[in-house]
Amino acid sequence: MNISVRIGNSVFLNPVTVASGTFGHSEEFYTSKEVKCLGALVPKTVTLNAQQGNAPRRICETPSGMINAIGIENAGIDAFIIEKLPKLKKVGVPLIVSISANNEDDFALMVEKLNAAQGLAAIELNLSCPNLKKHVLVAQDAQATESVVRRVKAVSDYPVIAKLSPNVTDIGSIALAAEAAGADAVSMVNTFAAMAIDIKKRRSRIGNFTGGLSGPAIRPIAVRMVCETAVKIKIPIIGMGGISCADDALEFLIAGATMVAIGTYNFVNPRAPLEVLEGIKAYMKENKMTDIRELIGSIQR
Amino acid sequence: MALHMNQIQNTYKVSSLTKVNATYFRLSFDAPALAKAVRPGQFIHIKVSEGFEPFFRRPFSVYRAKDGKVEIFFEPVGKGSRLLTSKKKGDSLDVLGPLGVPFAMPGKDVKQVVFVGGGIGVAPFMLFSDMLKKHAAEKVLLYGGRTRAHTFPMNEFKKNGVKVFTATDDGSVGVKGRVSELFNKVVLLPSTMIYTCGPRPMMAAVQTFVKEHGLVGQASCEEVMACGLGACLGCSIMTTKGYRTVCHDGPVFDLKELVFT
Repeated sequence: MNISVRIGNSVFLNPVTVASGTFGHSEEFYTSKEVKCLGALVPKTVTLNAQQGNAPRRICETPSGMINAIGIENAGIDAFIIEKLPKLKKVGVPLIVSISANNEDDFALMVEKLNAAQGLAAIELNLSCPNLKKHVLVAQDAQATESVVRRVKAVSDYPVIAKLSPNVTDIGSIALAAEAAGADAVSMVNTFAAMAIDIKKRRSRIGNFTGGLSGPAIRPIAVRMVCETAVKIKIPIIGMGGISCADDALEFLIAGATMVAIGTYNFVNPRAPLEVLEGIKAYMKENKMTDIRELIGSIQR
Repeated sequence: MALHMNQIQNTYKVSSLTKVNATYFRLSFDAPALAKAVRPGQFIHIKVSEGFEPFFRRPFSVYRAKDGKVEIFFEPVGKGSRLLTSKKKGDSLDVLGPLGVPFAMPGKDVKQVVFVGGGIGVAPFMLFSDMLKKHAAEKVLLYGGRTRAHTFPMNEFKKNGVKVFTATDDGSVGVKGRVSELFNKVVLLPSTMIYTCGPRPMMAAVQTFVKEHGLVGQASCEEVMACGLGACLGCSIMTTKGYRTVCHDGPVFDLKELVFT
């Protein structure tokens, strides 16, 4: 059974990965054999300089999901490369490093630092984090998306993945812009702008006032977006949004995603990625498929 | 040191659910390896239902861990904890644990240990006092509850050689007022160790007390939590060292490092 997939010139032994920001220390809790079952590891988004993150409360439980506004708390790219990257490389799973920046120069600078660090499978551009109090995100503007991706592609030694925001009128047009700029893949979707209110206090339940909704609640919307985008672009899609089990992941693959990422559900079932991989293999066996490509985009229209 | 996931995520069988009084419940389940591994102050993260409602697991500190059973002590105040009160003997329970940093065990030179617990925050001190039975230090529990309904017989603490003093907001049991009204019950020693767990205003009062008397103290914190594994950074609280996760950097912190606002 061939379940390996490719993004740019990077090969992944299987299509199951994790969404950035959802798999922090968990690799410590997997056996080394288990962690190798992941197609790729995606650490939490890194920024040029250290960020302390948003004031609590940072998360809030919602029906079949959650709202978060963490604020990309991280130690900055230099600390990431010195302190975290060596350990992550030792895991022995392809690494997709997620980065975010406030301008193109910073994106390019970070990519140069990651070039020098060597050994990554891909870089994911977090163009869609809705939590940093900007009026329009890069991922909400096709031209801005194209411009950032083009700049990064010009310097990157690695395949480049553009992570798209669902908070747009037409996500397909943003995906097309990323593809036109040379992106090797898109990952979709990030969280949906959302809020929840404590009616006793008449205050937002989130310290940042608004946050991003994720979890099974958003899955049907994410599947629809992947399905629509898959027919518009030729580059691979990493599908994500509320995947909790193999059946959920299969929906994304059938809709046209080449890889699938488990995000929020890692917080509930840290073994979900392993179960998803087993479930995909079982489904392929049951349906007598020998290559994952028979599954990807197999939706009957 | 970290246990692998296939050791820390397990399904256990509920062995009993006990109503302690009008407010509190105790739930115990069969988990011999967990009972052996868990340390006072650490927590377990329970998936209280099979579906997506409620969505998050719920963290509980361990109240007792002996005879192959692990027990939690809780007050059904929200969706998750209310669901736990419907568990029956033999029901399955999906549990992650033990998680987090435990309380530091007092050294031999410590001649007095003072637990300051508010409400449900008393839970980890039961396990702690079980483990300190052979420690020569004087052990004291200062317990604060809102009303009589938030107090309970402290026989199990007393059996462990712990002197118990109680305060209630309405004075229905013990001293009237906050738990800080009980500080004067303790004749402090230079080696006294203070351990606290409970509402943040209470822990802030304990911090002030510890600073004033030049003591060493630790606090076990609580926050709304998603992963319990230090992945999501959702449960971060401000400390003198910046934001720290309650689930992975804590829940036990040096009392002096906590920043109360």
